[in-house]
Amino acid sequence: MKGIVFNLLEEAVSAAHGVDAWADLIDAAGVSGVYTSLGSYPDDDMTALVQSAANLLGCPENDILHWFGRAAMPLLAQRYGDFFKGHATARSFVLSVNAIIHPEVRKLYSGAGCPHFHFEDAADGALLIGYRSPRKLCHLAHGFVQGASDHYGEEAAIEHLQCMLEGHPLCRMAVRWS
Amino acid sequence: MPNGGTLELMKHFVPDTGQSSEFRVARLERQLLRERSARLEAEAIAERGLRELYEQKQWLLLLQRVTKGANEADDIAEAFALSLREVCIQMGWDFGNAYLIDSGSREAVACDVWYAEEPDRLFAFIDASRQIRFTSGIGLPGRVLRDSRPHWILDVRDDEGFLRRSEAKRCGIKSGCAFPIVIKDETVGLFEFFSSRTVMATDDLLATMAQISSQLGRVVERDRARRALLHDASHDALTGLPNRALLAERCARAAADLSSNGQGVGILVIDLDGFKAVNDRFGHHAGDSLIRALGERLRGVVELFQRESDPNWPAERVTLSRTGGDEFVVLLDGLADRSWVDDLTGRIHKAFERPFYIGSSEVRLAASIGFALSDTGRCDVNQLLRDADLAMYEAKSEGRGRTIEFNEELGEVIRNRRQLEHELRLAIRDCQFRLFYQPIIDMRAGTELRGYEALVRWQHPERGLVSPAEFVPIAEEAGLMSFIGGWVLHEACDALARLHAMGEAHSRRFISINVAPMQFLQPNFAAQVRRTLMRTGVRPESLKLEITEGVAIIDPVRTAKVLAEVREWGVQTSLDDFGTGYSSLSYLQNLPFDTIKIDKSFIDDLTSKRSQDIVRAILDLARSMELSVIAEGIETEAQRAILEQLGCPFAQGYLYGRPVCEEQAFAL
Repeated sequence: MKGIVFNLLEEAVSAAHGVDAWADLIDAAGVSGVYTSLGSYPDDDMTALVQSAANLLGCPENDILHWFGRAAMPLLAQRYGDFFKGHATARSFVLSVNAIIHPEVRKLYSGAGCPHFHFEDAADGALLIGYRSPRKLCHLAHGFVQGASDHYGEEAAIEHLQCMLEGHPLCRMAVRWS
Repeated sequence: MPNGGTLELMKHFVPDTGQSSEFRVARLERQLLRERSARLEAEAIAERGLRELYEQKQWLLLLQRVTKGANEADDIAEAFALSLREVCIQMGWDFGNAYLIDSGSREAVACDVWYAEEPDRLFAFIDASRQIRFTSGIGLPGRVLRDSRPHWILDVRDDEGFLRRSEAKRCGIKSGCAFPIVIKDETVGLFEFFSSRTVMATDDLLATMAQISSQLGRVVERDRARRALLHDASHDALTGLPNRALLAERCARAAADLSSNGQGVGILVIDLDGFKAVNDRFGHHAGDSLIRALGERLRGVVELFQRESDPNWPAERVTLSRTGGDEFVVLLDGLADRSWVDDLTGRIHKAFERPFYIGSSEVRLAASIGFALSDTGRCDVNQLLRDADLAMYEAKSEGRGRTIEFNEELGEVIRNRRQLEHELRLAIRDCQFRLFYQPIIDMRAGTELRGYEALVRWQHPERGLVSPAEFVPIAEEAGLMSFIGGWVLHEACDALARLHAMGEAHSRRFISINVAPMQFLQPNFAAQVRRTLMRTGVRPESLKLEITEGVAIIDPVRTAKVLAEVREWGVQTSLDDFGTGYSSLSYLQNLPFDTIKIDKSFIDDLTSKRSQDIVRAILDLARSMELSVIAEGIETEAQRAILEQLGCPFAQGYLYGRPVCEEQAFAL
């Protein structure tokens, strides 16, 4: 997993729980804690961090991922403002993520696997998002969409239609902005 | 300065061990913050550099591919098609379309060269764009034509001047742009691109497009130069035969004489069968030498025919001309006897009986001939030429080496076909197709239903259900099959999702769909399948793709690659109509299939020992290659019993169920 994701987690945790919280989390998870945005680190590190956070806070891991996704968006907007500028709505921004993620990941690691989101307009105006990745981080994606909506000052209702965590071959969610 | 002075200065920097630990922690924290900021800044600098490097590399690769393709392309259309595809893939456009500027009217004319990631989704927009034309200043292409610079529309739905707005809305197209293709200062063509996302112009993109544009400008220039060389001459450079210009002149004279001398005019259009394959196999150089040899042979035939029919027939009133790549036209002016035409077509077909040689390789060609005669009440020579051309296409559709004379019934058939083609376009636009499902059962487990073959029907608003046998050939000819095939793929996967939601037993069933050669050989077919699976979320193993040997014959290497790709995700592949094609065994060995389908013709005849032996051999073969087998077209209990006894695992046919609508099929 890209170092930037760990960096964002650090920032989000520090902002919400104070600077020491991150150091405690690193110790609790038993991970190295050395993450730069130029590097790539084991998925297991992220799993361990999320598990430890869930234990420390006494809530489900999925909630942690969702919270993190949402909290990461303003931080991303700070670092990579250009990606947000050209879009007037959350929907338009969300639709551009494949185009953003791919070069961002591949510029560092050619051939790196990166999540691919599939988009489709549902008949009722909802945006259908399909997601398939061995990491099964759909709740993180969920949080990202929510965070993006916050950024554009919109309200998003997200419905998880099917989920890899429940044995489906891929995750699909319907997003309705109001 | 005395030593004492330096010591005095340094003194301030000696750590004061007397400071409180709080002070020291605070200082360390400040130091940490600085280190952190430095790290972030270093990361940002490195990332920016890497991103720029990556993007530049991508642009360079794109430019390289386009340049290479443009240099290797045989004509403008090929160079445009390749460039559109590369640009769409690289930049994430959903649709790219090419125009040439008509030198007379100065209009931008779409040349039916385009690329789309998902053609069926964008059908209405593509169909509206394939042959559209724009005058300067009108629409997106018109703006580019007027200003000779790229134009961008961030949201076509808000742009009053965008003419295809309703189609764009229907297909969910949002942003678009167009770039001129220029030779020096002259705009000679243009490309337009569209996306369902907002795509913005960047400096790199504009610079790259400008370079691509000048590359393509060179292709157009090359083509013009070639045409200019040939333009004035009245003879074809390759064969030395009269060209289209001279033919037109002679036709005009024939028309003028027609009413006065009362003699007939006949026009024959001769088109080679199998010439493209020769070009593909041996290259264009060999193709050219073949055309030369053929021109020579035809000249001999026509001259002899003319002498033997009427020694006094003036030489310039019988014209053999080369009018296209592999097309020849014979004008017979002063035709005294209708039977002469039959004589000539017979001689021409006979001339093709002897093989041609390319190096030491023997090449066998044939000709499709269409002709039209003035004595059937028509005396417009240009109309005759068009009629003969239509008759030639009709001859071609009936197989190699045929001759067909144009008559009113044929005209009627062709008019009907055009009407049907028009209706077929509407059908694609309005989704008038339905899938019917025929059960496939497991014979080893009684009659357990294992899946369905999806069969497409056209629910015509007036004529009711139209069978594929009626509309597929027309769709294929009109280049519409990939749109219909795309719809079938989507609809079948949507249906699979509905089927699997019906419960445990239903969720194990598969759906098998037929993939037309044209659809399968599209450059992005595998990607379309993957996208559809992704969108619908169905298990890939429950989708079976049926292709015929015909596909493999067109391009075996590509077929193997695409099959392997879709199978990698778990999609099943099936060889349809097994046993009816060519060298089936070699295909089985080289192409990755999961299932073979035994053709109905063997099952029809299953009571004969010969058919039983064939079916047994196929089953043995399949077992040794670990392939599954489905027998098609089982209609009787006797056929079922024999197949069961031979150990055929799967079966499909009227005995188990006719194709029925989704509701009925899924209720089984």
